[in-house]
Amino acid sequence: MSYALIISEVRRGVFEERNLDSIGMAHLAGKDAFLLIPEGNYNLNNSIVNKIIKAKLEESLFLNPLIITELISKIIGTLGAPEIVIFTHSSSGIELASYLAGKMSLPIITDVSGYDRNEQIFFKSYYSDKVFGQFKKAKESPLVITVRSGSFKDHVTEKGKNAEEITVDGPSGIEERSFVEYVEEEKTGVDITKAEFLLSLGRGIGNKDEIPKFEELANLMKATISGSRPVIDKQWLPKERQVGTSGKTVKPKVYLAMGISGAFQHIAGMKDSECIIAVNKDPEAPIFQYAHYGIVADANKIRDKLKDLLQG
Amino acid sequence: MDILVFVKRVAATQEEELRLIDDGKNIDLSKIPFKMNDWDNYAVEEAVKIVEGQGGSVTAISIGSAESDEVLRRAIAMGSKDGILMETQEAIHDPALRAQAIYNFLKKEDIKFDAIFTGVQSEDDQFAATGGILAGKMDLPYASMVIGIDAIENGYFVLRRELEGGLQERIKIKAPCILSIQSGINEPRYVSIMGIRKASKVERKTFKFNDFASRGDAIIDLIKWSYPEKKGGATMLTGEMDEICKEILEILKKKGVC
Ligand SMILES: Cc1cc2nc3c(=O)[nH]c(=O)nc-3n(C[C@H](O)[C@H](O)[C@H](O)COP(=O)(O)OP(=O)(O)OC[C@H]3O[C@@H](n4cnc5c(N)ncnc54)[C@H](O)[C@@H]3O)c2cc1C
Ligand SMILES: Nc1ncnc2c1ncn2[C@@H]1O[C@H](COP(=O)(O)O)[C@@H](O)[C@H]1O
Repeated sequence: MSYALIISEVRRGVFEERNLDSIGMAHLAGKDAFLLIPEGNYNLNNSIVNKIIKAKLEESLFLNPLIITELISKIIGTLGAPEIVIFTHSSSGIELASYLAGKMSLPIITDVSGYDRNEQIFFKSYYSDKVFGQFKKAKESPLVITVRSGSFKDHVTEKGKNAEEITVDGPSGIEERSFVEYVEEEKTGVDITKAEFLLSLGRGIGNKDEIPKFEELANLMKATISGSRPVIDKQWLPKERQVGTSGKTVKPKVYLAMGISGAFQHIAGMKDSECIIAVNKDPEAPIFQYAHYGIVADANKIRDKLKDLLQG
Repeated sequence: MDILVFVKRVAATQEEELRLIDDGKNIDLSKIPFKMNDWDNYAVEEAVKIVEGQGGSVTAISIGSAESDEVLRRAIAMGSKDGILMETQEAIHDPALRAQAIYNFLKKEDIKFDAIFTGVQSEDDQFAATGGILAGKMDLPYASMVIGIDAIENGYFVLRRELEGGLQERIKIKAPCILSIQSGINEPRYVSIMGIRKASKVERKTFKFNDFASRGDAIIDLIKWSYPEKKGGATMLTGEMDEICKEILEILKKKGVC
């Protein structure tokens, strides 16, 4: 039987919303959707998949590459091989998918954001969305993919009946890799998610010395400063200011992005802002696809001019 | 501790126009500058820091054209002892093929290690898969998105993985293992031109990629390239700098934020 095996991502009792993109991908490909999930009470609409495979193990053991691989071989042993194994393109999804592909010698395509059903071609981003590669598997084999959040959830349809449920025994813990604990980000005074106006800085501003000049502008405009990941990695700004999948999700009235290219991990954190203004020196920068207003210019020159005008 | 670190030479395309040529079969990278993959820079730094602390060696390995020697020299300038190039003129798009070649290479040349570090992802292909595939093939424990190594004790790494939204998880993982290093884990040291020049004097070994795997063994095919689908797109503000900035302030005023 031709089915898609969907590895759900659950964390601290929550069925992550991005699992819907994995389910939507299965529907778009016209495959029966079999969802693998640990036992527990998760808030999931069970009429959007055909089968729910409940793994008897604790949630903290589930998202472990060595354990998932064992679970999946068991499932293949009873249900036969799936046509495709779908993970989310997230921290854990990427880790699990690549390990599985290596262990079972399966072809893998990651960060899939488009699919041509007739040609069975998968689209994946290269160079932060500047171009896309169109890929196909080159051997008869189950294919492993990770899908980009937001890409396929619109393809999810109700099946009109509840999924059949089966259970599979999970392995107990393993000593090669074990979960210790969750570590929360330190709470600090600044909360960029509360700001109405964010002035967000990217690698394109050049270097750390530019930061104070942007702070002056932020003061004049009554904006709060945030940034993209490289700016935080380089310690130009503290971690609590990071916008994106591994930082904060923000929805200010205005998001003024300066020198930010628009990688999907960044876009995911700010795309729902009411008004996005992007300044970038590259007319092809992907961020212009998401912005309401775009300016092709040097961010530092725009900054100085805005300061001049505001100081009158 | 002996650590192998994989370093890739990638095109720095952030500020460049990418032109598709040959009906989308190729991307014209001829005028684009190249550099060490950002994530690999963090991986080298982390490996060198560990070795400085407790002894051992770092070996940098790159798959690519002869020019990839640049990133090996950089890795040596940062503190790696050796550099190894697996030379191939054409880019290898399938991460499974890269991992297969590495696997065969390490076996055939009998390379010993306590840990292998890769970056989380390449800036060009963003597969974020090479390290994990290799770990699966080698049957070694694996962790990606490594954002902090808290301790190395009794043959285990205690480390933190970055999850979403600022959350991390601490795990214990047994060496030998493969770790994919996330950007921001450390502050990579500065490398001077002098340092790179000195690194040139350290001998690098070159092997032929084709002796370990053949392009025909790829298990995914790149059909072609395409430009992203244009969404709505922004209203572009053009004209004199002065005019543009006045318009920006108008928009801010309209939105009631400034
Ligand atoms: C697991 C994972 C999680 C991630 N999480 C996040 C996250 O939470 N947040 C995040 O932001 N990223 C995240 N990233 C990183 C992301 O993939 C990108 O690398 C990052 O967003 C790029 O940041 P940037 O746009 O500032 O830099 P770049 O991509 O380097 O872009 C710089 C831009 O500045 C422009 N520019 C250059 N000079 C000027 C100038 N003088 N004036 C105007 N423009 C100029 C360039 O044209 C370019 O478009 C994550 C990556 C991974 C793998
Ligand atoms: N051609 C290559 N040469 C050396 N290392 C590579 C190469 N391709 C991938 N890697 C390593 O694998 C990591 C992940 O790459 P990728 O799977 O392409 O996103 C990179 O950060 C490198 O450490």
